[in-house]
Amino acid sequence: MQKNHLFALSLISVAVMTGCSTMPQSSTLDSARVDYSQAQANPQVVQLAPLQLKEAGEALDRANAAQASREDAKVVDSLAYVAQQKIALTQETAQRKKAELAVSTAAAERTQLQLQARTQEANAANQHAAIAELTAEQKTAEAHLARQQTADAQASAAQDQADLAAMQAQMDEMNAKKTPRGMVITLGDVLFDTNQSQLKSGGERNVQKLAAFLKRYPQRTVMIEGFTDSVGSSSSNQLLSERRASAVGLALTGMDIGRDRVSTQGHGEAYAVAGNDTASGRQLNRRVEIMLSDERGVIAPR
Amino acid sequence: MMKSRSRFPLSQCSRSGLVYALLAGGVMLLAGCSGTPPTEQLAVSKSAVTHASTAATTQYAPVELQSAKDKLERAENAMAQEDYALASQLAAEAQADARLAEAKSESAQAQKTAQDTQDASRVLREEINRKAQ
Repeated sequence: MQKNHLFALSLISVAVMTGCSTMPQSSTLDSARVDYSQAQANPQVVQLAPLQLKEAGEALDRANAAQASREDAKVVDSLAYVAQQKIALTQETAQRKKAELAVSTAAAERTQLQLQARTQEANAANQHAAIAELTAEQKTAEAHLARQQTADAQASAAQDQADLAAMQAQMDEMNAKKTPRGMVITLGDVLFDTNQSQLKSGGERNVQKLAAFLKRYPQRTVMIEGFTDSVGSSSSNQLLSERRASAVGLALTGMDIGRDRVSTQGHGEAYAVAGNDTASGRQLNRRVEIMLSDERGVIAPR
Repeated sequence: MMKSRSRFPLSQCSRSGLVYALLAGGVMLLAGCSGTPPTEQLAVSKSAVTHASTAATTQYAPVELQSAKDKLERAENAMAQEDYALASQLAAEAQADARLAEAKSESAQAQKTAQDTQDASRVLREEINRKAQ
C-alpha cells in the first residue's frame, strides 16, 4: 500500500518536472525540417546563400535540441518558427543574388549590344559612303562618257559635214544635178562623135571623175541610161542609145569599178528633154544620163 | 534521478518534505525557462524592425513586416509584465520576421530590376535586328 502510494507520488513529481517539457510532436518543427532539407537540396541556395543557410541550420539545431530536451511546446514552436523564417530568408537571398547576377549579365549584354549597334551604324555609314563614292565615280564616268560621246558626235558630225561637202564638191565638179530620182550626171552629145558610141577625151575625163567618186563611195552604184534625138529610125536610135550607155559603162568598169555596180540601159528617142524641131533641142536630147544610187545602192526606177 | 530517489522507502514525514522539494524544483525550472530580462535581444530586435520598416518593404513584404511589428509590440508587453521567456521568444521571432521581410523586399526589387534590364536589352536587340534588315 505504501509502496503504491509512493509510486503515485513519484508519477506526480515526474508530471511536475516534465510539465514544461513534455509535449506532442511540433508540426512547425516538422515543416521547418522539410523546408531545410529542400533548401539544402537547392543548388542555387547552397551556392548563393551559404551563410544564410548555415544560420538557418543553426536555428533548426536549436529547435531540435529544445525538442530533444523536451522543452515547452511553445518554446520549440517558437524556435522552429525562427528557423523557418531563416530558411525562407535563404531562398529570398538566393533569388536576390540571382536577379543581381542577371542584372549584371544583362548590363554586360546591353553594353555588347550597344557596341554592336554602333558597329552596325558605323558599317552602314561606311557602306553609304562607299556607295556614295561608287555613285560619284559612276557619275564621273558617265559624264566623261557623255562628253566623249558628245565630242565623238561632234567630230563625226564634223566628219560627215566634211564628207558631205567633199562629195558635194565632187558632184558639182561632175555637174551632177539633183532630181526626184536622185543625183544625175548628164554627159552631153558633145562627148560622143556623131552616130558613134566612142567617148571623146572630154567625156573620158568626166567618166574618170565618176570612177573616182565611185571608188570613194563604194556603197553607191550607177544606172547609165542612153538617149537620142528623133532623127533616124527608132530602132537604130534605140541601138545607138544602148551602145552609148554601155560605152560609158565599159569605161567605168575599165577604171576598176565592179560590173555589179554598173548597169546600162538604152531609151532611144524616149524621154526627150527638149524639142526635136531645133538643132539645139536635138543636141540636148542626145545624151547619156548617169543616175547615182543612194547610200544603200538603190536607184529609183524611172 | 529524483524519480529513482523517490522509489526508496520514506517516512510519512519526509514525504511531505519531498513534495516541497519537488515544487521548489519546478519553480526553479520555470525560472530557468524565463532567465534574466532579454533587454539586449529586444533592442536588437527593435533595431531590425526599424531597419526593415521602409516603403519598399511595406510594398513587397507587407505580411512579414506587420508580423514583425506585432511581435515586437507583444515582446515589449511581455517584458513589461516580466515574462522574460515570452519576451525573448517574441523578440527572436520579430527579428526573424523583420530580416525575412527585408530580404523579400530586396529580392523583389532586384528581380524587377533584372526584368527591366532584360526588357531593355531585348528592345535594343530588336532594334538592332530591325536596323540590320
